[in-house]
Amino acid sequence: MKKIVIAVILLALMVSTFAGCGSTNNTSSTTSDNVTAEATKAADPTAGGAAESDAYTGSAPITTEAGQSLKILAQTSNYTNVDITNAEIVKKVIADAGITVEWQLVDYTNYKDSVAPMLSTGSVDADIVLLPDQDPNQVYLKSGMFVALDNYFDSMPNFTKWLDENPVIKAELTAEDGHIYYVPGTNVGKDYQPVLMFNQVWLDKAGKTAPTTLDEFVELLRYYKANDMNGDGALTETPMSIMASMLPYMFGPAFGLDLVSGFQVDANGTVFYAYADSTNYKNYLTFLNSLYTEGLLEIEYSSLTRDQVIERMSNDMTGVAFDYSWAMSMMYSNVLPYYDGTAATAFVGAAPLSGEYEGYYVGRVELGNMFGVNSDSSNIELACKFLDYAMSEGCQTMYQWGIEGESYTVDASGNKSYTEQASDNDWLQQLGINPAFVFPAQQSVASTDALVADWHAQINKEQEQYVKDPWPFIYATSDESDTIAMYMTDIQTYVDENTAAFITGTKSLSDFDSYVSGLNSLNLSAVLTAKQTQYDRYASALK
Amino acid sequence: MKAQKVKQTKEERRKLLRKNLYKDKYLLLMIIPVIIYYLIFCYVPMTGLVMAFNKYQMGSGLKGIYTSEFVGLRWFQQFFQSIYAWRLIRNTFLLSFFSLIFGFPIPILFAIAVTQIRKKWLQKSIQVSTYLPYFISTVVVCGMIINFLSPSDGIINMLLNKIGIDSINFMSLPQWFRPIYVISGSWQSFGFNSIIFVAAIMGISPELYESMRVDGANKRQLIWHLVLPGIKPTIILLLIMTLGSLMNVGFEKVYLLYSAPIYETSDVIQTYVYRQGILNNNYSSASAVGLLNSMINFSIVFVANRMSRKLTDTAIW
Repeated sequence: MKKIVIAVILLALMVSTFAGCGSTNNTSSTTSDNVTAEATKAADPTAGGAAESDAYTGSAPITTEAGQSLKILAQTSNYTNVDITNAEIVKKVIADAGITVEWQLVDYTNYKDSVAPMLSTGSVDADIVLLPDQDPNQVYLKSGMFVALDNYFDSMPNFTKWLDENPVIKAELTAEDGHIYYVPGTNVGKDYQPVLMFNQVWLDKAGKTAPTTLDEFVELLRYYKANDMNGDGALTETPMSIMASMLPYMFGPAFGLDLVSGFQVDANGTVFYAYADSTNYKNYLTFLNSLYTEGLLEIEYSSLTRDQVIERMSNDMTGVAFDYSWAMSMMYSNVLPYYDGTAATAFVGAAPLSGEYEGYYVGRVELGNMFGVNSDSSNIELACKFLDYAMSEGCQTMYQWGIEGESYTVDASGNKSYTEQASDNDWLQQLGINPAFVFPAQQSVASTDALVADWHAQINKEQEQYVKDPWPFIYATSDESDTIAMYMTDIQTYVDENTAAFITGTKSLSDFDSYVSGLNSLNLSAVLTAKQTQYDRYASALK
Repeated sequence: MKAQKVKQTKEERRKLLRKNLYKDKYLLLMIIPVIIYYLIFCYVPMTGLVMAFNKYQMGSGLKGIYTSEFVGLRWFQQFFQSIYAWRLIRNTFLLSFFSLIFGFPIPILFAIAVTQIRKKWLQKSIQVSTYLPYFISTVVVCGMIINFLSPSDGIINMLLNKIGIDSINFMSLPQWFRPIYVISGSWQSFGFNSIIFVAAIMGISPELYESMRVDGANKRQLIWHLVLPGIKPTIILLLIMTLGSLMNVGFEKVYLLYSAPIYETSDVIQTYVYRQGILNNNYSSASAVGLLNSMINFSIVFVANRMSRKLTDTAIW
């Protein structure tokens, strides 16, 4: 008896030891989507086999063979109350395609940290993979992990049509070896970009209009600081609430600098590093240091979060913000205690600030999330077809507008408008609107216009004129990526540290020249050479 | 004759060993899972250190660890060529060193103090309340630190303002990072870390206390001449083991608390490895720096063990 007990204990201990040694290759939650393939049922029952799979022409279903399934490695929604696998839009796309999907979802917040190591070991058991980044250094595609999609373009009519309609994106997506490996989602490049916003009620109370120059702007901040703008009887207001990540967007252009990417091209086509500009960057830092010293840029600026900004707005404690335009009516104005749905009581977008240089807003690279097909997949063609179907106009309409009759209606002229229920953002998100976490969704200006307040859409239109293209997405060659990877970590650390020190005054601006010398000693010239080569390649591809 | 005697002794020893092995076979079997655990999770992965000397190709899997292009000491050279190399080593060492200097004696003192409490319910209550912070997640602790130290509405700055001191932006000034890290770490772990010392003190024979009292020893003398010598082996064992991880600061806590303005004191090897190795997909570089870190740790343990053997006759090996 004693021996049996000991044997059982031993067995249990050994089992528990091996419990962590399973073949699971990620920490993701794996859910099986048992969506019934309605479209499969609806398909011609007499058809079947390979002949049918060849019959895919870009519309649903992608296969008429029953029981076809794909594994997709992607992200959870950034809305914690949304189960994206059970969202109606996502389920409908899968059902229409005539397949089932086994999801491997990894948390949105640490997707890169979790998935990049999985890809590095090549142990991904999924047919379709949402990349942890845009693979700018061609690391993943050169590893042979992903299929060259152009070999399957015969099965991808929607994607090839879209590429033909978007030659710039096609050029960006074409790798050094001439192949295309990823199906991308896209962002709007010029609309709803980060913009400067003013509390209109405070502006009216101060009897001022939105400033357009740095000097006017500083005057306005001083006025806000010296006056009880919210009428609570105390000077507790924070004139400006700007997250540190937004400062380069907000003030860089007024000093002729694109501090968002850091790299920019001068009139002669020469690439330079904005953070090493000995005149303009020094002026930029001097300006921010003066704001900090005067208390107009708050002491906590480096750790300020969006949640803190929203909290201030809900308490009517701040007058200026800078964030993605989306926040204007959807996150900021709607929490103001006196917001009545009009621009007069809202945080409203304004023109960019100008200084020695005319101001502009930095746009966004249109390429968004990238989806690749795993080379080890046993269903490569089906995966390519599914990605292609997910790029179809019908699916994109669903991503942007939702489900007809539920979230939007179409009038006799073919114009779409959201239903009353769609104004409930939680409901809309749970429906699966813009499922960029799991499908290659394209952002749409029209649907965003319909979703935000009318005054907000109007402001967005007015601001398009100020938006300039950002540093483009360019694939790096192996040598370029080696150089950049080797030197940029130190350069970025050096810049971040010194920028904060100059702004807060812990380092004197009289040391700026030694800062630039230090920056150059970090092999900046090698990085600039790599970036110049990249840019020249991009420029010639556009010709 | 002498050689024969030795041979016989060896045979006797073998017999004794076989006898003992047979007698304790079930106990010995129970160690198998532990051996398997160490083989799978420690010794087999250790062979992956070869990655620090090659250029690991993404997607090449387990095989790639051993078959990628050999680059020698390239990643070590790259690390030492960084202008931040020595700063990273210094910050990593100092954070751990101060944590050790301030964090190690507190659980001992606390254990001595708490075992002197006569009322059992009071002793248990104090122990439980000091254990609790250990079970709060690092993310929550860091959130609490940031909130408490906020210059605008943090409780610490409010108190400073009450006594006429201007708000201090603790989280943006390099000189404050180490005290914040060390004090919060000690607060979180001193209760839990005292458990083993409390157990060691409880293990001292009551007869020894009794005889010292009979000899007229007071409380201070009891602690100095009985309690401390009684737990000395435990203290030394734990000290050497702690020294073994001297260069391993908690990545999560530093990562959650640090920012560019305070890199000067807060950027440590682990955060640099994260930025250079993980974010840039350069796993070979990360392995090289990790190996370097482990080598420093091993050297410290080795030296500490030798010193301990010489000074106190107590050592791990």
